[in-house]
Amino acid sequence: MASYVGKRLLMAIPILFGVSIVIFITIKIIPGDPVASLLGPTGSPEARAALTERLGLNDPWPVQYVKWLGHTLTGDLGTSIARRSDVAPMVLDALANTLILSAAAAVIAIVLGVAVGALTALRRTGVLARLGNALALFSISVPQYSIGLLLIIYLAAGAGLFPVSGMYAANGGGGFVDLFNHLILPAVTAALVPAGIIARMFRSSVLDVMSMDFVEALTARGLSHRRVMLHAFHNTVPSLLTVAGLQIGYLLGGVIFVEAVFAWPGIGLLVYQSITQRDLPVIQAGVLVSALAFVMLNLVVDALHGLVDPRIRA
Amino acid sequence: MSSTSPPRRRRRLLSTAATALLTALTLVLTACGGSATSGGGAGANTLVIGMTASDIPVLDTGLAQGQGYEGLRFVANQLFDGLTKFDLTDGSKIPTIEPDLAESWTPNADLTSWTFKLRPGVTFHDGTPWNADAAIFNLGRYADKSSPQFYQELNAQGGLSIAGIKNFSKVDDMTIVINTNGPWSYLPVDLATVYFGSPTAIQAEGNQGFAEKPVGTGPFKFESLERGQRLVMTRNETYWNGAPKLDKVILRPIPDPTARTAALRSGEVNWIEVPPPDDVPSLESQGFQVLTNSYNHIWPWVYNMRKAPFDNVKVREALNWAINRQSLVDNILKGTAEPALGYTPKADASFRPESEVYGYDPAKAKQMLAEAGYPDGFTMTLSYPTSGSGNMVPTPMNTALQADLAAIGVKVELKPIEWAAMLNDFFVGNIPDDADAMNISLSFQQEGFWTSWFGSQSSANAGKYSSPEVDALLAKARTVLDDKERSDVYAQVAQVLGKDSPWLVVVNDKNPRVLSSNVQGFVQPQSWFADLTTISVSDSG
Repeated sequence: MASYVGKRLLMAIPILFGVSIVIFITIKIIPGDPVASLLGPTGSPEARAALTERLGLNDPWPVQYVKWLGHTLTGDLGTSIARRSDVAPMVLDALANTLILSAAAAVIAIVLGVAVGALTALRRTGVLARLGNALALFSISVPQYSIGLLLIIYLAAGAGLFPVSGMYAANGGGGFVDLFNHLILPAVTAALVPAGIIARMFRSSVLDVMSMDFVEALTARGLSHRRVMLHAFHNTVPSLLTVAGLQIGYLLGGVIFVEAVFAWPGIGLLVYQSITQRDLPVIQAGVLVSALAFVMLNLVVDALHGLVDPRIRA
Repeated sequence: MSSTSPPRRRRRLLSTAATALLTALTLVLTACGGSATSGGGAGANTLVIGMTASDIPVLDTGLAQGQGYEGLRFVANQLFDGLTKFDLTDGSKIPTIEPDLAESWTPNADLTSWTFKLRPGVTFHDGTPWNADAAIFNLGRYADKSSPQFYQELNAQGGLSIAGIKNFSKVDDMTIVINTNGPWSYLPVDLATVYFGSPTAIQAEGNQGFAEKPVGTGPFKFESLERGQRLVMTRNETYWNGAPKLDKVILRPIPDPTARTAALRSGEVNWIEVPPPDDVPSLESQGFQVLTNSYNHIWPWVYNMRKAPFDNVKVREALNWAINRQSLVDNILKGTAEPALGYTPKADASFRPESEVYGYDPAKAKQMLAEAGYPDGFTMTLSYPTSGSGNMVPTPMNTALQADLAAIGVKVELKPIEWAAMLNDFFVGNIPDDADAMNISLSFQQEGFWTSWFGSQSSANAGKYSSPEVDALLAKARTVLDDKERSDVYAQVAQVLGKDSPWLVVVNDKNPRVLSSNVQGFVQPQSWFADLTTISVSDSG
């Protein structure tokens, strides 16, 4: 197992390397430079030129990339061009905030997805099942951005049940209850698409398993229903893990719209802002830690696979 | 025992469990709602501002402008002071320059050397005294490449505010001299956006450290910053001009306009910038204070005069008669802007009744097009930004203009472009994709902008307008000390522009912001800036 994890971690290195090159080239190709977006209309041409030189933006691209890589390998993620402060703490703070949001969304998505999936698989004809199917389809199709705004308008501003935006009350002392209240709407919004997908996948996987011969065979051998169900569910777990793992991975990057609507100070919002400002050091660091988190998550999912399905361990 | 068939029982068991789970989840979610909004902006005598910026600006003097003028408005002007400032106390008049950290100033005869008497008895928030050494230290940081504290980023961000400064020196402990690059009549205006930080703090913390713990002389002091979330400032009890009334000011970045309005409605903030125009009527009817005022802003199309059809002055003028500005203001902007019928915003000192040179007359427009040789109109491209500081709601606005122009046979192809990409072209004097016109919001807030937009040698003159007459007038303006006389010169510039029509002028924004009913004492000035010292927030409301 240890060598398997080690191998996977080694494989992450070329992935991250590739990601960093792609990001670098993309940012360089699209028009716009950080100095122009930073200075607004009042910067003089001379001052802009001097700042461009100082930021090393006049170097050839490969030189800029190698310099950045060198610093990154020594643990120095650089200084944000637009924010004039160190990138590392900025990105780590934002990543922590995104992980909080993603974790909450993942819990909701899995619980909701499994519940709706099981319900619609086992009661294929009832009203509840039809409703469940419709809900699952709806949550997959509807854009998160608009759902987030609707929740804000009706549940937060209208009914006053939840705070509108941010992670903590502007004037409060913070604390877990405050965070929890601020977390609910964005987490539910972010959970909708993965919940729908998990529900659909889990439904078909339950149907598959329930139609397998071994279920009838176990029942025929006189196993208690509870034991039969245990065996049946054991067989749905690998596919559930796969789809849930993938969906949670997507959550890490996919919460960007949710973060934008709810002003949640996470990595998606940070990278998005930094793209509009062409703030390359922050974009690179943000994407890299996201990619790293994604790789680690997949690793965890694969390890869990090995735990529940002995065939994979070999 | 097992009378029911096993599969059915199994299913019932599972589905019951699933339903229970769903119900439990719903219950938990609903129960958690509780009194979520109570901790918001209701705190006594605290102003909580929902900004449009997507992040808290850099908290270091002039660098706050990195998030647009909002950064100067809410950060730089609150934490720091300049040598001069705009008088924002009267919303009925155009703000004039008054003393701030300088008590008085005197230029020499040809306006190239300015002596500033500094205000005595002022200290920075950390107790460091304000004097000539502190002033020279900061000016060196901005503008003296040979000084150890010179800060390239600040110099670049200083832009037009420091464009006139050639060098400076200390005369005595409370007097400094600033020499300018030739006559510079509006140096005191420029200096209102040059800010002074505590030399002790800057030297102790370094540039990056200072931005995390800024120390100025302003009406509010830095208390805490949570990255991307909020900036808390507290009242400076020893502010030289009298302590502000508020206990605290809290800034929150809420870039989405709908979320910003919702935050105001729920009481999480009690002040928002730029509500979506469509929300204005309902906010007014719900008792919120919707404030607008003219300020120095204009929203034009800059014609590409390098090529046909806009190398022809008749075409340029014709379009200015073809658009229904009042309808745009009423229907799309819901009164948050006013029609621009000339080049000078109403809140600019050089505005004169005769500055309004255009109107709405499609028949006249069509006739002028025919005279120019385009009786059937033409097809043109417009490059416009989809967002960005001061750009209002560009997509619906440009779509409305597209319809107006179609009525006189001018077919406009809209080419949206990302704001950062547009600026990149604009600053080197290009119009993105070499479109026939570009839409961008501009201003004459700094007098140097007149030269930036219309000077034939200016790098930001993207339309390539060129007029020896305008160049001469703008050079003359730098030699006229008297504010009124100088504004007459700009009024003359506007007259020439009215004849040459380098822009399609559309509207002047009216700076809409919305305050809760319990926010009292604020004067909405004719300015990009805002004086927060007169405000108080009562508990009720």
